[in-house]
Amino acid sequence: MSTTATPATGKQTILSVESINTYYGDSHILKDLDLRVDRGETVALLGRNGGGKTTTLKSIVGWVPPRSGRVMFEGTNIAGREMMRNARAGVSLVPEERRIFTNLTVAENLKLAQITAARPGWSLDEVYAHFPRLQERSANKGDEISGGEKQMLAIARALVQDTKLLLLDEPTEGLAPLIVREVEAIIREIKSKGMTILLVEQNFYSALSVADRCYVIDQGQIRYEGTPDELRGNTDVLSRYLHV
Amino acid sequence: MKDWQFYALTALGLVLLPFVIHPIGGYPALATQILLLGIGAIGFNLLLGYAGLLSYGQAMFYGVGAYVALLTVSRFFPQVHSIWLGILLAVVFVGVMALLIGMLTVRLYGIYFALLTLAFAQMFFFIVFQWRSLTRGDDGLQGITAPPLTFGPWSLDLTQRLPDLNLGIFGNLHDVTYWYPFSAVVVLGVLAFVRTLTRSQYGEILAAIRENEERSTFVGFDSKSYRIAAFTIAGVLTGLSGALKGLFDTSIAVDSLDVETSGSFVIYAVVGGVKTLFGPLLGTAIIQYLQNVISGNQHFGEAWRLIEGVIFVAVIAFWPKGLLGSIPQPSEFAYQPRFRPSDSLPEAKPMTEGIILETKGLSKFFGAFGANSDIDFKVRAGELRAVIGPNGAGKTTFFNVLSGLRSASAGTIYFKGRDITRMPGPQRVASGIAKAFQTASIYPDESVFENVRLAALARVQGMFAPEFLRRSGRLQQVDDIAHDALEQLDLSNVATTRAGSLSHGDKKRLDIAVALATQPELLLLDEPVAGMSIDEIHKTDRLIRALAKRMTVLIIEHDMDLVMGISDSITVLHQGKVLAEGTPAEIRANRLVQEAYLGGHVADAVPSSAPPAAPHTEANP
Amino acid sequence: MSQLPGTLLDGLIRGLAYVGIALGLTIVFGMLRLVNFAHGAFYMIGAYVGLVVTEHLGLPLGLIAAPIAVAIFAVILDFALLRRFYDRNPTAQILITFGIAIVVQESLRLIFTGTTRSYAIPFWLKSSFNLGFTQYPTYRMIFALGIVVLIFAVWFFIERTNYGLIVRAGIRDRTMVQLLGGNVRQASTVIFALGGAIAGLVGAGASPIYNVDPNTGFYFLVPSFVVIVIGGLGSFWGAVAGGLLVGELQSLTTLISAPASDIVIYVAMAIVLMVRPSGLFGESELIRG
Repeated sequence: MSTTATPATGKQTILSVESINTYYGDSHILKDLDLRVDRGETVALLGRNGGGKTTTLKSIVGWVPPRSGRVMFEGTNIAGREMMRNARAGVSLVPEERRIFTNLTVAENLKLAQITAARPGWSLDEVYAHFPRLQERSANKGDEISGGEKQMLAIARALVQDTKLLLLDEPTEGLAPLIVREVEAIIREIKSKGMTILLVEQNFYSALSVADRCYVIDQGQIRYEGTPDELRGNTDVLSRYLHV
Repeated sequence: MKDWQFYALTALGLVLLPFVIHPIGGYPALATQILLLGIGAIGFNLLLGYAGLLSYGQAMFYGVGAYVALLTVSRFFPQVHSIWLGILLAVVFVGVMALLIGMLTVRLYGIYFALLTLAFAQMFFFIVFQWRSLTRGDDGLQGITAPPLTFGPWSLDLTQRLPDLNLGIFGNLHDVTYWYPFSAVVVLGVLAFVRTLTRSQYGEILAAIRENEERSTFVGFDSKSYRIAAFTIAGVLTGLSGALKGLFDTSIAVDSLDVETSGSFVIYAVVGGVKTLFGPLLGTAIIQYLQNVISGNQHFGEAWRLIEGVIFVAVIAFWPKGLLGSIPQPSEFAYQPRFRPSDSLPEAKPMTEGIILETKGLSKFFGAFGANSDIDFKVRAGELRAVIGPNGAGKTTFFNVLSGLRSASAGTIYFKGRDITRMPGPQRVASGIAKAFQTASIYPDESVFENVRLAALARVQGMFAPEFLRRSGRLQQVDDIAHDALEQLDLSNVATTRAGSLSHGDKKRLDIAVALATQPELLLLDEPVAGMSIDEIHKTDRLIRALAKRMTVLIIEHDMDLVMGISDSITVLHQGKVLAEGTPAEIRANRLVQEAYLGGHVADAVPSSAPPAAPHTEANP
Repeated sequence: MSQLPGTLLDGLIRGLAYVGIALGLTIVFGMLRLVNFAHGAFYMIGAYVGLVVTEHLGLPLGLIAAPIAVAIFAVILDFALLRRFYDRNPTAQILITFGIAIVVQESLRLIFTGTTRSYAIPFWLKSSFNLGFTQYPTYRMIFALGIVVLIFAVWFFIERTNYGLIVRAGIRDRTMVQLLGGNVRQASTVIFALGGAIAGLVGAGASPIYNVDPNTGFYFLVPSFVVIVIGGLGSFWGAVAGGLLVGELQSLTTLISAPASDIVIYVAMAIVLMVRPSGLFGESELIRG
């Protein structure tokens, strides 16, 4: 259906974060953090609240620029570049709070994303085919839709753009279990179309069910890297950093 | 600066002023004018600098002060041959006026406050303009001779000149009238008063409210009263400025009430430096002097107001703290708290028996959205109760309604058997409910000790204490409570650190310590360990358990290990309603809870029969 | 009460002038969260540029030159000074724009002297128009129509164009617009220039009615702030409703007491602020302004 999807070919790195240090005011949040995402891969970044997961995503897109280190995206250092430029280069962050424009309708939210995109991604028809609920609610304002619909809209906003790297921050947070399954299914589907995804999750089980590889972050540093199966078997890491 | 240094240097400066401006084109009357207008600027600075309120209506106090003083000496009581009555009536009248207007305006902020004060000033302008029989409208009051300055039988005509004494390039003493020494004495008094005020307990609390109003309200200060007091004092000083200036000029024009006058006080204070003692006076001197020199110049005279505007814009853009404020100030972090054994600690309040907190049908709506609906909730005294639920379940809203940050839409809250549904936040703190915030709400620019001490001060002094003159001293009882709170949260070792530079975990514990220093019976903790490292969580876990032995604790927390480990009982909120309530074991086994909150995975993750995985030392109650 | 229809019409015209000025204030506040006390200065620059151009080239060109000149001035001001004040507190914004207002006003006073100046408008516009119940100056009728057109043009720009969509989204969440690749900074500049252009156009358009002197800017600025505070800071239709309300209120008060018309709006604003601080159409989240 989609023309933008290209299957993953070999191991080609699309994003490589190289020893970044990020601060909020005086607080040193990320400490020499490294991570890598290959094209077509879905990588989960796991860890407790306050460990630096969201800050990592914000550092990548330029929301909270790192004070040192490099963020290499498709071979270019994008650390400290404006959010707008990174977005137009194809790095799309779907933030934790969804940040739907509540004063705009669902259709306007999508239209805005189309207007601001450097190159088009999915067509509106494709979006509505995948998210029939959004079509039903297209005339509703952003504050008149449910949490699950907001999450779908937030993801759809990224898809109508030519997104090359999708950063999802806690996509299942605060959703009812049934809706969580729905969102997981959507992530799997996007993934199957070849999208590269960096996923931040507190919901360990949800994340492991979609990820190819995962990192565990704690106190601003990567503590563990492995496949979901390896992580499931590592009780030390699980209880130490994830408390499961 | 020590007291005697302050008085000596200020007095010296005031004595020299009329002479040092002589060689650069000033004259003695200009010096008097600077001092008299400076009083108004000093008053305005109290508002903008210390209370953080930008008033665009100071002209009403200035103008009304002048009218009342001049009318008193010319029409109301012409038979009284003393300047004091005019000044006194002006100050009293303006004081009452400022108090009333303050009560109506201080709950607004920013642009709203500026416009509302401007609106009141315009109304007074209109009244003065229209009340021709009294004020002579457009003509203003003119040619009113000020009565003499009197002390008992002794009296002095202020327009009289000082003895002849040639001072060379600094002019002649004979050029100076007695108005100048009189003004200088008044200004010295005003400066001493404002200096005392800003260092007083009142001034300290006013500054705290400016720095973090939310925190100040929830340690129990009635921020509105503190601001009304500041507004009134500022009004009185501006009224005094107007009264003296009117008497000095022997006239007042209705224009003195217009927005240009209000704006000029803003300019004086901002140029000189708000939040500094001498800044407003310096600003007045610079602007008045330049105005005098430039507007008299035949080439640039016309351009004076333009030059003034350019100076003002340049100062705001390049020296936002003003000329004096841009000079680095010595740090005030010198205070070393005395660590004493806390044996003189005031007795903890006896624990209430039975149900300490109860809500019946409590609801909170935001528009049509019910963040809390129909919550029935009971907590026994001494209990440690956790409130859990998915994001958006209404937990924080529930806490906000309990603490008084938000008002309930429906239902009732009982605390110690008393209906507190309509009680304002500070009063709830006084009656024993304290709150630690989800995002630590502290005074970042104060020391850790000072943060806690402010809360203890609220506990001891109550919601509003008009301690305008008492030096913000070290009340032993207050210090003891503060030290105790720091010790409880294990923060004594960082007592002198600037709070803003603490680590995330320490900030959160400081926030709890601040709440604790209000000596609550019920402590509300909103996600106390969110964002903490494992070690910090374990530490905080222990601290909360210790606190729970002394008071009732309500806690919102996402960390299930902590919640399951420390709670006596748990309430689960879901979509604004109570979904379940019970002991940790019951909640863990509850299918509804697993479905709604724990996402169905909990059964796999934590077998309900096993103890929690975290290394908690104490067994579940 | 035979003056009533004429008074109501005067109120309408005055109210529309306020709406015209308040529109720019309210969209600038809504989009940039900037409290712009220099907005009255924009009106004045428009009025004086319009005056000069009208004298030499006629009113139509004056009405074109005024908004362009003010838009250019606004962009320069934005880049040179105001940009650093976007994220400062409202107090700092009020102070800096208040200072700019003084500088502009006094510059204009030096250039054009303090005397009141009137526009040279074409003869046919000086005529009166018979409305049946009253004779009314033709120019005022055209001015009223022009403002109504302007209101809908601005509305169309904001509600119906792609650019307007970015602006509306930016009002709610600037960061998210940037995360989607939108150029918020450019949109801010455009909005600031647009706000200035509207003020300039209204300045040139209203001056044939109200004349112009260096104090006119402030004379219109304060009521315009009253208008948007009554209507709700940042609210589009609030500014329109507030403007008409204030215009009529002032006009009707002249029937009872002419001098009181200057003060009635302040009384109205004080009442609105004390009863409903967020204004008639406003959002309470803006109270802290």
